[in-house]
Amino acid sequence: MVLKEDIFRMTIYLDYQSSKPVDSRVVEAMLPYFHEKFGNPSALHEIGDEATEVLEKCRQEIAGFINSEKDEILFTSGATESNNLALIGFALRNKAKGKHIIISEIEHISIHNITKLLQRMEFTVSKVPVDQYGRVSLKKIADRITDQTILVSVGYANNEVGTIQPIAEISRLCREKNIAFHTDAVAAEGLLPLDVKKDSIDLMTLSSNDIYGPKGLGVLYIRKGIKINPQIIGGGQERGLRSGTENIPAIVGMAKAAEIIRQEREEEVKRFKAYRDKLIKNVLEKIPRSYLNGHPEERLPNNAHFRFDGIEGESILLSLKDKGISVATGSACSSKTLEPSHTLISLGLLHEEAHGSLEFTLGRFTTEKDIDAALKALPEVVDRLRKLSPLY
Amino acid sequence: MKSTTYSEKVMDHFRNPRNVGILEGKHVAKGKVGNPVCGDLMEFTIKVKDNRIDDIKFKTFGCGSAVATASMITELAKGKTLEEALKITRKDVADELDGLPPIKMHCSNLAADALRDAINNYQNKQKFKTEAEKDAKGDQKVILGEKEFLNNGVYHEAKNLSRFKEKRTLVVDRGVKSLELALSISQQSPRVVFLTPSKALSADEELKTKIKQSDVKILYESRLLEIMGFNTVEKVKIHDLNEDDEYELFMDAVVIL
Repeated sequence: MVLKEDIFRMTIYLDYQSSKPVDSRVVEAMLPYFHEKFGNPSALHEIGDEATEVLEKCRQEIAGFINSEKDEILFTSGATESNNLALIGFALRNKAKGKHIIISEIEHISIHNITKLLQRMEFTVSKVPVDQYGRVSLKKIADRITDQTILVSVGYANNEVGTIQPIAEISRLCREKNIAFHTDAVAAEGLLPLDVKKDSIDLMTLSSNDIYGPKGLGVLYIRKGIKINPQIIGGGQERGLRSGTENIPAIVGMAKAAEIIRQEREEEVKRFKAYRDKLIKNVLEKIPRSYLNGHPEERLPNNAHFRFDGIEGESILLSLKDKGISVATGSACSSKTLEPSHTLISLGLLHEEAHGSLEFTLGRFTTEKDIDAALKALPEVVDRLRKLSPLY
Repeated sequence: MKSTTYSEKVMDHFRNPRNVGILEGKHVAKGKVGNPVCGDLMEFTIKVKDNRIDDIKFKTFGCGSAVATASMITELAKGKTLEEALKITRKDVADELDGLPPIKMHCSNLAADALRDAINNYQNKQKFKTEAEKDAKGDQKVILGEKEFLNNGVYHEAKNLSRFKEKRTLVVDRGVKSLELALSISQQSPRVVFLTPSKALSADEELKTKIKQSDVKILYESRLLEIMGFNTVEKVKIHDLNEDDEYELFMDAVVIL
């Protein structure tokens, strides 16, 4: 195979949150399904049967990844579609029971925008604030539950600051009150052990790329007994809940990616944690007036999110780009809307602090050399920009 | 076009900004535009000799295009008469830089405005806005929600400091006492914001230094409009007097002495 991850030796990539390379073992597993094994599972001949068989085998593998049953796994085109199907599909199917939905202030932008649509469909939506570390308070959710509440949606972990939510506690509260619980687990996927049975989860969003599988594939886990309306209508694939010919190569890829995670996660996460802790410790020590955003302990093992007084994130990002280092920022100046990240504002940060934030996310091909290079470059960059700043 | 796709010329000025700094002395005037809230702040100082801009320096907080436009205009303005310099437009600056991403044309292209502000200040012989600028505290309006959340996140006294432990706390400017209080609360709480309608703190040097060294954040030229929440305080609405803009801040407690 030529498809090695050597590309990562040329650039220092510390933005795994935004995109992950597909693991070469995954690519290898996918390749036969583009050409030799091209069947449509709906077809009744041998090539079609072969496709059905591999589809169900993959479904089983992915079910095992989150400890669900095989027929609780639904394939979609990605996490955004899964979130749409979970919220809109559930709300429309269950509106006779009530029209109130609860989400947190730091949900992924797709959840925020989906609930805006639901509000126009006469649903009421409550947004629960988080504490300064980005944790949702169980009490604040409980306070907002009414006899009209049908669904609570809180992300497993935040995709920006990496704060992990008390999911088991929230889902238990929902189960007691007979309210459905959805979690977008994309940020936590591959990093934390996911168990829908242990955590009493009713609906869960997953993405293929977030475990080093191909883009364009997502999963919605739907617990048996939970009813939703389909959003894409057609030939009745995926038990009629998501029509469209199944994307077999991608499904094979995601199943392989899940298998690799199952075998390697623990060891991999140990490595991420060591690098992350080195990064956090040294940045806070070396750079005056630098701060860690998010929770000091309850955070994803691959996430380090900082802010620096007196400077702006896009400037830091551009300067690091000049040194071959790829990172992300929550600054408005690099967004399409010119609004600062709603997650950072929800932590209680001032706008200028949100503008001065920088996010590092580590992944499978990160080496200690990458961390050392970032630690060498960052203090110089911050220092130069502070010399230009009227605020420092 | 991505908001961060810049021309080589923009990147050159970003990497090697010209004329960074602050001028002092006679025949010097200062101009300032923008606001850290919106992500860009620019300050220029100009030195005028025989009606010409003899020297010019800048400081910028902001994105790549904010730095580059400020740097570029210092080159354009140097040596020009005040009348000529006043005619430099935002478009002139953007053109000289071989263009800016469309989304950045308005937000981060403030250099021409800041230069004009400096020249106007010079021509009006307007002195630097001094630290001791009088504050406009007198006409504080009613704060919505203050009564509703009294003792549920809104406090008129702060005898019990442990109450603020782990709470993001907003302290409203009620003179030196409130500033001292903000400092004490910051020993308990990791997040204390001091809100003042003034442009500068009215306190002695010792207190100012202590504040500067502390983690207390100051929001200048700002007023508290509304306190919001669900049973207890969860967020506040703030009026930014400088930009005449309103925005929300997530806070768990508000102290109004």
